[in-house]
Amino acid sequence: MLEISIFSILALFMIGGSIAMIINRQTVFSAFGFLVAMIGLAGIFALLNSQFLAIAQIMVSVGAVVVLSMLTILTVNANGKNLPDEPNKTKWIIFSSVLVTPFTILLYKTLTTLPDHFSTMETINSKVIGKELFSEWVLPFEILSILLLSAMVGAIVIARKSKRKQRRKS
Amino acid sequence: MTPNMFFLLASILFSIGLVGLVSRKNLFVLYMSIELMLSSVSLLLATLSKVLGDASGSVMALLMIGVIASEAAVFLAMIVHLYRENRTIDSESFHALSERENNA
Amino acid sequence: MLSLIVVLPFLSALLLAVVYLSNTKVKRYAFYTIVGVGVPAIMTLLSFMVGYQLLNGSDTIHHTLLQWIDIGNFNISIAFMADRLSVVMISFITFIGTLIHIYAAGYMKEDEAYGKFFAYFNLFMGSMLLLILADNPIMMFVGWELVGLSSYLLIGFYHQESDNITAANKAFILNRVGDFGFIMALALLFVNVGEGGFTFEAIAANISTIDPEMLSLIGILLFVGAMGKSAQIPLYVWLPDAMAGPTPVSALIHAATMVTAGVYMVARYSFVYVEIPDVGIFIASVGAASALFAAIIASYQSDIKKILAYSTMSQLGYMFIAVGLGAYSSGIFHVFTHAFFKALLFMGAGAVIIALHHEQNIFKMGGLKKHLKLVYITMSIATLAISGIPPFAGFFSKDAILVTAFASEHYIIWGVGTLTAMLTAFYMFRMLFTVFHSEQKENHEIHPVPNSMTQPLVILAFGSATAGFLGVNEAYGGSSAINTFLSLPDMKLHISHATEYMIGGLNVILGLLGMGLAYKLFAYNAQEAQENTIFKKFAINKFYIDEIYEFFIVKPLLGMSDLIEKVIDPKIFDGFINLNVWAYIRSAGLFAKLQNGKVRYYALYILAGVSAMSCYMLIKLGVM
Repeated sequence: MLEISIFSILALFMIGGSIAMIINRQTVFSAFGFLVAMIGLAGIFALLNSQFLAIAQIMVSVGAVVVLSMLTILTVNANGKNLPDEPNKTKWIIFSSVLVTPFTILLYKTLTTLPDHFSTMETINSKVIGKELFSEWVLPFEILSILLLSAMVGAIVIARKSKRKQRRKS
Repeated sequence: MTPNMFFLLASILFSIGLVGLVSRKNLFVLYMSIELMLSSVSLLLATLSKVLGDASGSVMALLMIGVIASEAAVFLAMIVHLYRENRTIDSESFHALSERENNA
Repeated sequence: MLSLIVVLPFLSALLLAVVYLSNTKVKRYAFYTIVGVGVPAIMTLLSFMVGYQLLNGSDTIHHTLLQWIDIGNFNISIAFMADRLSVVMISFITFIGTLIHIYAAGYMKEDEAYGKFFAYFNLFMGSMLLLILADNPIMMFVGWELVGLSSYLLIGFYHQESDNITAANKAFILNRVGDFGFIMALALLFVNVGEGGFTFEAIAANISTIDPEMLSLIGILLFVGAMGKSAQIPLYVWLPDAMAGPTPVSALIHAATMVTAGVYMVARYSFVYVEIPDVGIFIASVGAASALFAAIIASYQSDIKKILAYSTMSQLGYMFIAVGLGAYSSGIFHVFTHAFFKALLFMGAGAVIIALHHEQNIFKMGGLKKHLKLVYITMSIATLAISGIPPFAGFFSKDAILVTAFASEHYIIWGVGTLTAMLTAFYMFRMLFTVFHSEQKENHEIHPVPNSMTQPLVILAFGSATAGFLGVNEAYGGSSAINTFLSLPDMKLHISHATEYMIGGLNVILGLLGMGLAYKLFAYNAQEAQENTIFKKFAINKFYIDEIYEFFIVKPLLGMSDLIEKVIDPKIFDGFINLNVWAYIRSAGLFAKLQNGKVRYYALYILAGVSAMSCYMLIKLGVM
């Protein structure tokens, strides 16, 4: 009972945050919505007894992604005249929602064919995750680190000011 | 607390992300919709790992969080770059790759 | 040998045409004459040889040239059959044809297109012989059509005048209307008895398998074809206009041969018509009406050739009376004698026309008795023959017909025929007296007539005088030689000799009466007919039949084709297609708007596709 009510509150947070994210005109408000959704997600991970995942979610998704997004939004100064004009936003959203509904239903129906009860074995905890990560999943782990490195380098290269090229030419 | 509730939540989140991706022109909203879709998949993985009692699902979700981080870096760098060139964050105004004769 | 008779004229026509077309300016008078007249002469010889063979008691001669169509039951071969009926027909056709060819060599001498003329003329001879000698109805129909074609080509020979072309068109179109009936009859015949082979002999053997109503229908439809070809009411209006062609053409085609094709056809199909006597009475009535009608009109005409044209129509009516009432041999006998004196009359008229520099109105001629002696004598013989004065040919043949009518108790037809006989004598002598006897109205310089034109007249006059002796009835001491030779399924008559003498005597008296009346009115002072009374007005204007046809038939048809061309074709058919085009362009425009180059829209389309597939799968899963 308690779990269900907590779940409902967290689910409400998530869905409400997501909807706020896609509806809002102001970019900052969308980011806030996204923030709320991510926190809700972390709570749900915790509800699923994946504590490590919950903490990792907060650290990365909230602490890194949302913060970085806010930073970029404020740097780009995305408000007022800068915002793109979307005259038919509501029509588009309604139309896409109608189109997406059958897909959602299909997805849900597919997923519910799986067994309908949680496993009773308490086999998921941080210790097991850590063991799995470094025994069976060590290769993807290492590749992930390389991915992060290349992402960093790539981000720097892309976001670099191109005045250097102009200076070189002149 | 049955898994079906989690599945429902994951489906709804995925569809919301899809709607946002198709409907909005703002680059940031596009990015955040994509993130939402990825997160819903993580949620699904975590749920499945609990249903099956296998830890692989949680490990995959963990790895996905890493991917999310790298994607954030690259995406936001691109947004900054594009803004520098065109002074706009409207996704319809970038047509350097298009073949239209009259770039209307 | 039989096939030579048919093929030779076609080949000579081809040769003449090729030589003529190679250079139309050069006058190769000698070559054209030798080929053009020589070939019919050869054919006459061949026909006489075939006739001699049959006379000596041989059976019907068959000869197959080649197989033409072979589809299941429908086997048509180009085959010829010479039985007694055909042989009588080809004998006089080739003989008189040769004489007319000689005449034409003189008549058309000055003409530029001399070679073309003889090519067409030989084509006609070939077609007529094909018609007569055909072994099956389809080949006969091929000959029938070719004869119509030759007639069209020859009527419109002086094609520089557009009136002549109109006349030629009229002849062909009316012929076509008749041919429609003919084709229907052939189709019905094939459907009903075609399984046992489609030659005349095979059909005759199987004829009893068709029920009488179908047979009556076939008989009537065949007669529709004859109405067109042989100028009976209502399809006769082309014959007077056909006089626009050169006179040899009128002599050969529209007097002696082509117009008798209808009569020949009824005689050939005698095995059909003996089964359906009611249709026969219908045919005889149409013949009688046409005879009287034409005689009335001829009594008021002024153009010498038109008088002769109406006279032909009238005599054809007599022939149809005969074959309609079942006296097939008498009909063919009248065809035979009529060919002689009608060809003679036309050729004589041609000689008069040439002599007076192409004057055709008889009231502008007069007193030619002194200047054109030979023509006068021969034409008098022909006129006596056609009026039915014994011992000339026309008496015996006409008498045979009228006796048949009286003996089979169709008194109305007999009465009409007898009245027409008197009118025939009247208008023919009217023409003779006006042209040769009455006082000269205008002073003409007489153009000399070449010998090639006058000599054939003599031969034909001899024929007109004596040909009648071939068919003398028993009552007059003969043995009906031609009737027994033809051996057609004639009706048996029961009539006493006394009645025959009475009828014969009546005919002679009426003929003399007509001659006397014409003498009194026209021999001294010939006046053209005035439109004094209403009846005269109608008769002189040929009872306005042409105008009636024009108003009721031609104008509505032209109006309808006008309507279709101006309204239906552009608005309905083109309009329908234009509507389709407009619809395609509009919908294409709509579809083009979907491709606007914006990626967001394309993402939406992808989403739509995914949605559709999900819907489909959900329905299949039985959820929605």
